[in-house]
Formats: sequence, C-alpha cells, structure tokens
Amino acid sequence: MNGFASGWDQATDQNKLPAEIPSPEQVEVPAALRAEIEGHMELYPDPTSAALPALAAAQRVHGWCSPLAIEQVACVMQVTPASLAAVATFYDMLETEPVGRHSVYVCTNISCSLRGADELFEAMKEAAQGDGEINVRAFECLGACDIAPMASVDGVYVGPLEIEDLPQLLDDVRSGRPVLPEKQLARMLVADPSANSQQYPSHAVQTVDSQGQGT
Amino acid sequence: MPRPQQRMITFTIDGREAQAPENSMLVDAAKHGDVEIPVFCYEPKLGGPVGACRMCLVEIEGIPKLQPGCATPVKDGMVVNTQTERVKEAQRGVVEFLLVNHPLDCPVCDKGGECPLQDISFGWGGGISRFVEPKRHFVKPVELSSKIAIDRERCILCYRCVRFSQDVSEDDQLVLLERGAHSYVATFDGHPYEAPFSGNIVELCPVGALTALPYRFKARPWDIEDAGTVCTLCPSQCNVTLTVRDEKVLRALARENPEVDDGWLCNRGRFVRDEIHGPQRITQPLIRDGGVLRPTTWERALEEAAKALTRAGEHTAALVGGQATNEEGFLLARALREGLGSPHIDSRPAGALPLELHRRLAEPALQAQVSDLEHAHAVLVLDCEPVRDMPIIDLRIRKGVRHKGVALAVATNSEGPLDRRAELSVRFAPGMGAVFAQALAAALSDGGEVDQLAQQAGADPQAVRSLATLLAGAGQDEGGAETQAPGEVTIVWGERLAAGEHGAAGAQALLAISERLGIGAISGAGLLEVPAEANGRGLREAGALPNAGPGLQPPAESGLDAQSIATALAAGELTALHLLQCDPLSDGYDRALWEPALERATTVIAHATALTEGIAEHANVIFPAESHAEKEGTIVHPDGRIQRLRPVIGRQGETRAGWLVLADLALALGLDLGVETGPMATEQLAEAVPFYAGLTLEEIGAKGVRWQDRDSASGLNAERVAG
Amino acid sequence: MSAATAERKMLLLNDIDEPGLATREVYERRGGYQALRKALSMEPEQVLSELQASGLRGRGGAGFAMGTKVSFLPKGAAQKYLVCNADESEPGTFKDRELMQKSPHMLVEGIVIATWAAGISRAFIYIRGEYVLQADILDAAVAEAREAGYIGENILGSGHTLSLVVHRGAGAYICGEETGLLDSLEGKRGNPRLKPPFPAVNGLYQGPTLINNVETLSTVPTIVNMGGENYASIGTETSKGTKVISISGHVQRPGNYEIELGVSSREIIYDLAGGPADGRQVKCWFPGGSSSPVLTGDDLDIPYDFDSLAKAGTMLGSGAIIVVDDATPILDVAMKVAKFYRHESCGKCTPCREGTNWTVKMLERIASGEATPMDLDIMASVCTNIIGNCLCVLGDAMAMPIGSMIAKFRGEFEQTIEQARLAAEGVLV
Repeated sequence: MNGFASGWDQATDQNKLPAEIPSPEQVEVPAALRAEIEGHMELYPDPTSAALPALAAAQRVHGWCSPLAIEQVACVMQVTPASLAAVATFYDMLETEPVGRHSVYVCTNISCSLRGADELFEAMKEAAQGDGEINVRAFECLGACDIAPMASVDGVYVGPLEIEDLPQLLDDVRSGRPVLPEKQLARMLVADPSANSQQYPSHAVQTVDSQGQGT
Repeated sequence: MPRPQQRMITFTIDGREAQAPENSMLVDAAKHGDVEIPVFCYEPKLGGPVGACRMCLVEIEGIPKLQPGCATPVKDGMVVNTQTERVKEAQRGVVEFLLVNHPLDCPVCDKGGECPLQDISFGWGGGISRFVEPKRHFVKPVELSSKIAIDRERCILCYRCVRFSQDVSEDDQLVLLERGAHSYVATFDGHPYEAPFSGNIVELCPVGALTALPYRFKARPWDIEDAGTVCTLCPSQCNVTLTVRDEKVLRALARENPEVDDGWLCNRGRFVRDEIHGPQRITQPLIRDGGVLRPTTWERALEEAAKALTRAGEHTAALVGGQATNEEGFLLARALREGLGSPHIDSRPAGALPLELHRRLAEPALQAQVSDLEHAHAVLVLDCEPVRDMPIIDLRIRKGVRHKGVALAVATNSEGPLDRRAELSVRFAPGMGAVFAQALAAALSDGGEVDQLAQQAGADPQAVRSLATLLAGAGQDEGGAETQAPGEVTIVWGERLAAGEHGAAGAQALLAISERLGIGAISGAGLLEVPAEANGRGLREAGALPNAGPGLQPPAESGLDAQSIATALAAGELTALHLLQCDPLSDGYDRALWEPALERATTVIAHATALTEGIAEHANVIFPAESHAEKEGTIVHPDGRIQRLRPVIGRQGETRAGWLVLADLALALGLDLGVETGPMATEQLAEAVPFYAGLTLEEIGAKGVRWQDRDSASGLNAERVAG
Repeated sequence: MSAATAERKMLLLNDIDEPGLATREVYERRGGYQALRKALSMEPEQVLSELQASGLRGRGGAGFAMGTKVSFLPKGAAQKYLVCNADESEPGTFKDRELMQKSPHMLVEGIVIATWAAGISRAFIYIRGEYVLQADILDAAVAEAREAGYIGENILGSGHTLSLVVHRGAGAYICGEETGLLDSLEGKRGNPRLKPPFPAVNGLYQGPTLINNVETLSTVPTIVNMGGENYASIGTETSKGTKVISISGHVQRPGNYEIELGVSSREIIYDLAGGPADGRQVKCWFPGGSSSPVLTGDDLDIPYDFDSLAKAGTMLGSGAIIVVDDATPILDVAMKVAKFYRHESCGKCTPCREGTNWTVKMLERIASGEATPMDLDIMASVCTNIIGNCLCVLGDAMAMPIGSMIAKFRGEFEQTIEQARLAAEGVLV
C-alpha cells in the first residue's frame, strides 16, 4: 500500500494475481484480531458496516493499515482488499504509510491557529524529530477550540498548549504516563458561568492507554 | 416482477414542447426534444445516477437551484431550460474545472477524435482557461492490467470505471484511493486489474485515461471503419462492433442489445484480434502428405476430401462445432445425409437426448428471455457456471439481484462466483445434475424420494427442500394470501444436465420442475439453456443432430450421437470423420473416447481456423475456416433469438466461405446443394425449418428476432399435429 | 440587561459539571429518564406532536424542523433507522463533545424517545473517531441504559424495542454531511449521495432513516418534560428554545455557552466570551462555523438566531462563533479555510474537488507575490461557479466564506497582493 505520493505513478505488477476476496487459507489472521472484527460485524444488519472499526482494530495491531493488515481484515470480512484500501485511504485517522505507534495530532485549523497552533506544530515536529515511534501530524479541527491550541495525544486531548509544555508532553508519551494531566480536556469545566449552580471540582482524569482505549 | 410501464408526458425544453416517457431522466428526455445535455458520469448501464460530474446542470422553472439533468425525472408540464446564461455559465465552469488538471495532450492521445471530453469542451466549454498554475504530472501511461493502460493525468474522476467494477461486475478490484483532488483510480497494492469483464472500463472511460494496450497508437478515428456483427466465441452471442483498419480487426466494442448483452462484452470477446489475425490462424488449405501437413490448392484439397469421403460413404460421421453457422450445419447435414447416405451427425458433445424431449424443452411457452433474468422473482442457476459457460449473463444475473431484488439460487457441482450473491447455494456431485434435478422435482411435489435422490446426487436433502421452498415461494410475501399471483422463476440450466447417461431423466425432471412452478403458464418465467457450444441451439434447429432433421423433425434415418460415433470410429465401424469447426480433443468432448477414435479413423476432414491438437495430429485435409469477423449467415441465441453475422473484413488469405466449401464438396460428392450465395443458404434453411418459415436476413436486422415471437413459431409442432 | 448577567435558561448545560452525571445513577437522581417514562406512557403520535409543537430546529447546521423531519418517515412496518450525527467536525464547533462527555444519558434518553415517536427499532450514534473519550463514555452509558432496560426488548413494558450502537468514524469532515455519514456507516468511503431520495425515504441500508444532531436529540427529553408549547415560548418566533454555542478564536473566554436564541451577537462575543484581548477589535467573525460567510465588527448587533443571520447573508449553522481580531491578516484566515475544505473535499463532484484545490493555489500565489488584483476576480468567479452547483454543501462551505472575505476585505487583499509582489521582487523585505 502506498499513499498518494507514490501510488499515482505506479504500474500494477503483472506477476501478481488479481486481488480477489482472500480465502481463509490464504491469509493468517491473529485470533484476537479476528474475534474483534467479528464482534464488530455482529453489531450491524450489514456486516460491511464494520469496515472502519475493523480497520482501526487492524491498525492497532500492525501500527498502520499495511497491505497485510488490510488483507487480514478483508479475509475476515470476506470483501476485497481494494474495497478496504479505498476506505482506509479516505479517512485521516487510518494510516496507509508506516508511522510511529504514538500519534500526536496537533490541531492547526482556524481557531487553534489563531492562537498559535502553527508555531506549536512546528515546535512539536522539531521536538519529536528522530523519534520513529512518534507520529506528529497537523490535523484538522479536533473539536476542542476551547482549549486552543491543543493536540490529541494517542486520543487524549490536551490544551491549551504552550511550546514549553512539549518536552514534558513527549516525555509522558514515551514513558507511558498520562499526558499532561493538568491540561487534559477531560478535567475541564464548561465555560458558561451560568451553567453550574455551584462550584464543582474539575473532573478526574481517566487514564487512557496508548491504544486509545479507555481503562 | 412487473416490468416498468412507460407513460408519455409532455414537457417544455428550451421553449418547445416535447413528449418523453414519464420519470425518464432529463438528459434522456431532452433527446426527445432534440436537445443534448452534456454528461460525463451519467451512464444508465452502471445503475442509478450519481450526479458527480455536474456537467448536466439545467434550469427548471420553479426550482431556484440548477438541477442535474441526469438525476431529475421528467414530469408532465415541467419547463426546462438548457440555454440560459446561468446554465451556460455553470457548464463553462464545470468544463473549466475539469480541464484544470487535464493535460490536453489530445494530439498524442488515443481517444482523440472520439473523446467526449473533447466534444463537450468544444461544445459547451468557454474556450479559455484561467488556470495559470502548473498542472499535475505523473508517470504515464502505466499498466493497470496486461490489457489496459491508465493515464492518471487525463482522468477526470467520473467514477464510471470504479462503478463498473463495484456495481456491475462486482469484482470490487478497481477503486478510488485517497480523497478530494488527490483521489485516483487504482487497485489494491499494485495487483493487476484482471477480471473477466475488465475491458469494459476502456469503453466506459469518457477521456483518454483508460486505453486498451492492444489498440494503443494503432489508429485514429478517421482511419477506421466500424461494422456490427455478433461474437461467436460463446453462447452469449454478444453483439459487437468491430473496428477495422486496412482489413484488420483492431478492436471489438460492445454493440448494445438489451435482450442479449445489455451493452457489455467480456474480455475474450473484446481482445479478439489475435483470434482473428494471430499467427496460429490457418489461411490456406492443408493436406497431410507423408505424415506432414502441407499447404495445397483448394482444388486438390476438395478433390482429396471428396475422394476419401466417397470411399467411406455411409461410414462417415460429422461433428459440428459451436462456431459454425446454422447454414453451415444445415448444409453439412444435407451433404452427409443426402450425399453420403450417412445419418451420423451431432453437435452436442455430451450425447443425445430423445427428440421428443428436445421438442418439449423447445416449447415457446417454456423459453426465457435474457431480460427475464433481471425481472424474475427468482433465478435458479442449475448445473452451469455462467461466468465460464455464458459469461455475459453473469452480469445480468448480478444486475437483477442488485437492482431488482431477484432472489438468486445456485445449484451446481462446485463453488462459483455467484454463490456470494445467492440466497441459497446447493452443491451436488459432478455429473449428477440430472439426479439433482429429479430430487428437486420430487421436493416440489412433496415426493417421498427426495432423500434418496438427493443422496444419490451427493446433495443435502434439506438444502434441496429449502431450494424447493425458495422457488415455490418466489414473489410471495411472507404469510401471503392465496390470491397472490404465482412467482416468476427463471431457470438457467447447462446442457450437460440433459445429455448423456442421465440426460433423459434430467430433461424429464426439468420439465417436471417447470410444471410445478407453472413456468409454461407464467409470462416472465422460463427456462434458459446454456448450450455447450456457442451456436448449440441453432445447430440443433438446423438439423445437426443424429435424431433430428431441420426444425427438430424426425429424420428419415436416425444416426449415432457424438459418443457413439467415437465408439464406432474406435471400433472401425465408422471410418471417416468430418469436423466442421470442431476439435473433439479440445472442445468439451470426452477425450478418453475421442483419442482412440481419432487414432483409428481412416479419414479426418476438418474446417478449422487454427491447428488445435486433434486437428494438427489427425486431420488429413484441412479447409481454412472463417472467423466470426469474416462469416455471413445466422446463429441462434440460447433464448431463440436468430442473429445475423455480417462479414466485417475480407476472408483471410485463401479462406473461402464455409457455405461455399460445403457446396463445392457436396458437388464433388455428386450432390448439388443448390446454394450459390450465402443468402441462398439462409433461404433454404428458412424453408426447411418450419418455425423459421418466411424468415429473411432483413427481418433479422441488427438486433435479431426471436423465432418464438414470430407467427411461424407454431411450426415447432406442425408436423406432430399433422401426424 | 446583558446576556452575561441575565438569568439565562439552562436546559442542556444545567449543572453539567456535577460529578458523576455521566453515570445513570446521578442522571436518574436528577430526574433523568423520567421523560422517557412519560413518553412511553403516551402514544407515539402524541410524542411526535409535542416535538412538532416545540418548533425545535436541527442543531447540526441546516436548522431543519426536527418534528417535521420525523413526520417525513413513512409509516408502516419497514425497517427504519435513527442515526445520531455525532461527527461534530465543523471547525469551531465543540458543543456536542461537551454534551456527550458530561451528560451522555441525556442523549441516550433523547434517542430512545425519538425512536419511540418515529417507530424505529435500530439506532446508531456516529461519533467522529477523534472523540475517543466521548465514545468510551457513550459506550458505557449505552451499556448502563441497556442494563436498566432503557434500551433493548420491550422497553419498560412499552413494547418498544431498540438496539443502539456507538459507531466510531475515522477522521473525515464530510461524514458530518448526512448522506456521507450514511455511506461511511455502511463501511464505505464517506461520499455524499445524490438527493433526492432523502434519507427519510431511502437512507441507511436503503431504509427510511432519521438523522439528527446530538444537541437536537439531547433536547428531546427537555421538550417532553416541559411540553412542546412551553418549550416554544423560549427564543424567537422562528428560532425556538436555547442553543449551546461554541465560541473560539480571539476571545478571552472561549467555550460553550447556552443562550436563548435571539440575543445580540455582541452580548455573546463580548459579555459572555470576553471579546478580543484588550486593545484588539473584532475584525471578522464566523457566526456558524467556518462554513458561514464572515461578518465584520460592524455586524455585532445582529440578533443571534436563524433568520436574522440568514438575512445578514450568513447562517447560524452549527452555532459556532469564531472571532478573528484586527491583528490577523485576512489572507491567513482565507488560506486556513480554503486549505481545510480542499483537504476535506471527498472528490466526488467536480466543482468542489477542483474548485477548492484551485482556490488554494490562487491564495498561495497571492502569498508568494505572483498574483494580481485580477486574480481576486477569478477567485470570486471560481467561488460563484462552485456555489449551488455541487453534489453536497461542502463546496459551498468553502466558496461562501471565501467569497464573503473577498467581498468584504477586497482592499486588504489588494494591498497584500501588492506587498507580496514587492517583497518577491526584493523591493520590500
């Protein structure tokens, strides 16, 4: 699987067989992944609906939607790998090039950029440079403009971020600690002062593991 | 299922009133008012409109926004404008957008001169581009498959090719990757797009993005001539347009016939150039001389053949292959029966069926049409594999399931690609189709023998019962009332079901199933036989059967069927074999029977286009035969549609017309067939077959005519009634 | 009396930070699921007429009357679906996030009531994949509701049956468009579909489908509790009720606020959110997410409701105000907006795919000093060729704000063009 940059210019390989629906004997699928995908398929009247959760599951196993990952999903769902590649390349959260396992999405859309997100993103890229395990991406609006500029770190929203926060943030990611607990969106109270009839404490932070799964 | 009824309505387009079928899309309705609305993505063959290209925007009174003409059904009294400044501006805008990244490399583009993008840019575009940024550039063209090249710079992302892959052939191999302006057409991870119908995307492409590698840079539209004929490579008998330059067929295009092919063509029929012009093609008579085949003159070839056949006399047998026309089969049968006194002729590889059953299975009331496959309540695929045996109906069956909600059932001896689309798939043991059909017939009549027959057929008795329930309940709502009309069931069945050892039982069972399902009485229900040979039906009707003369009438003398001919040859009871475009070692005949038969035969005369194994090793005299691009005559579609072959190119090399060779040969045997032109042969055939009575080539025309729809159809039973 | 000090009605955000509200226990203690009991004791038609009487307009962006939408669904036994649009992706919008995260049961309750009113037995919440925390919370809430018998077979003995699945997206703005969302939920690329047929007739799995935004459905329990007519007394004649608005950008107190529709925009931007930093003025603002044509500092007194904003040539959209102060070059704003829509265009229809791409290239040419003022006319014309000509509204969502910026800030664009040109020629450094 190649992303946009290289896929355009490539001829197909005439030595390969056409990519039909893989037969179960052709592709070995890790049992846990198979079970998870089948679990998703059961939730829908049409099991094809499970494509996104299934690809997300395969991405957690493989680190990205590699050709093998897609073939495994195709094998369990009994669809062609092409139909899944079409889906995987459409969605921003599905990686179709190899990337680091930790994702850092820096929102650089309008509200965050008005508050310095572009500089933050550059600084984040620089700070994480050379660390192959960290995938820093500029992302479209993550829906947290109230904590702009912000980032989603392995699915955990943190902000407002300052450039000074970055070493700590990356250190937290690398060491598996909760990321910048004080800056997690989960703690934030609503901005509207009339909303709450009394002073409530900020919310406890849920710990979220690197797979983006709540614990 | 009820077919859509068309009601004509009146609407106004560009200030003039026009009539069009109600709810037809405006782009189609506009044609009734002599107005053309430009389109790129709209292609009804691919299913419903998608409204992606936005080329067809029109103004409709009462609706503030411009509407896509491809997706707006016309209503009575609608007032449509396609020439207002607003519409023109939108059209110019869309053309400009499409050309933003299009390379405009028309001078070196194969599509140039027959390109919708060129035509529409010229007709509806603004003539200038305000886009001054550099256009995108990519490596081009690159191979998408062994037969198709893709030029991604030229692609305008109309979605036609990927819709074909996903919604028509359902191979799901060709998709769009990425998103937005970065989207591109591709396969998975560099796998080639190889699928039985993939070539159709070349024809669907409205720009020069998808081109056929064999046709690249071979001709410009002004260098070529197109001519329509029919492909005879399989029983699908798709209507084709062959593109000719300098007497060479360069490509085949679909020639849409809704009752035959729906406008599609398989890759075998499309990439046909090598079959016609390849090095294997025989273009002069050959004669075996000292064990070696050597070129010879027609005179010598005919003389030698006549000599050998005369020697063998009534010990001669003939086999007719599916590429032969009705006329050729008819003339050979005459030559054999009248000239040599031999009744041994067959065109069915797997053996005979009692004539009575042939006739009953040919009853007009039982015949399905191809379009029934998409309108029936249920379709049963029985003992055949459409994509292999009659490819184009695979697409029609899928269309019915996808768009019309047809319930598909598959009963075959091995897994096949249609299983995924089937509500029910049942398996039986190879060769046991006839017994399976008996089990199904029993299940439909609550017969007690279901278990025993199913087990004998190697099928699950419960599955047989489920199949019976599905078919009997087709078109009925759950818990439906007694008053519901019976469902329309169409059964697509393979010839082998009614051939050989269990053949008669299979045919009887098929008739019993039809009886139970009321197929003969229900319009829209029917049987569609997939013959083993391309023109299997026509050859039978022309009399190339051991137990029937022309028109399925009893012959003066019955002969041996194919399998018995083989046995008789091997035993030395027959000595000569005449092969009319047939090679029993490669055409689905029983090889084990035929190897010794050919070995022992004293004389083998063959009409052939290529030196296939049996011909190369055993023929004494070989007449070069015409390909379907050269032939004239008629063939019969499995649903009874008589179709006309027209010569598209001159005969290759020294090849002569098949009817002429047979007439000359007969003359050398002392029989004047009375045929001096191709149409005279057709005329003789029409006189000999009661249910073709009065048929002319003009009547057959470009799209063919089903004999069941003609007044003479009753001719099938004329003799019986008389007798 | 300003909005900041007035006693504002809190129907959705009321005590939303109360610890444990995301649990069924606290939600029920606060009166949660009483509306469901009440609704189930009524005939579905009665519930529907309450919804219609409330005048509630969809809170997702289009502002279509919710009750009317329900009434479009065909009656009868066909399998119908409800899909809650929780794909909140419009830049500047984060109200649904707050509601789902803190009061998920309110949404679940709204969904159960709506499905009862509409005779629907299968529902899905399509939540954007980025909202990991909120999806986890919803999953837990749905599980709790199922345990309590609010979801499942024969809910509270009413005979109503409902299955509810939280479906996570994977990052595509277009999936907030209702038909793109349906394709995505069916496991495909999120390409919008041709309309008609509308989802109410032919939607998910080709069945009749009701699609509502999170905030819309979260309002349903309140409407049932207080009665449709009562609810309709809040707000203006054509914009009933309260609305949670998200305000962000150059304001001192960004965040979510619940307002009664019809208050002045100035009160929201200045009194509630504190306005731009001291010394700064509002240069322009998006009243309804980045898809809405911009207004300027002169437009602050426009009442914040559907019709007043429409009259001003823009829209309330998702109710997300983005404020841009006078220190920000308009080219930067336009570039952000155009690049976003180019990135998010699905590529299915021509004007959007090519038009967003071309617009970005023209803006980049301005920035690099290669443009002339004539390019502004071309850009405006390209926007005109997009607007109204696309398959869905994404193309318009770029063309309208960009078009409004060219119209309202032409002078600044021309200056920028000239300065960038001089800079490129080395005249200005």
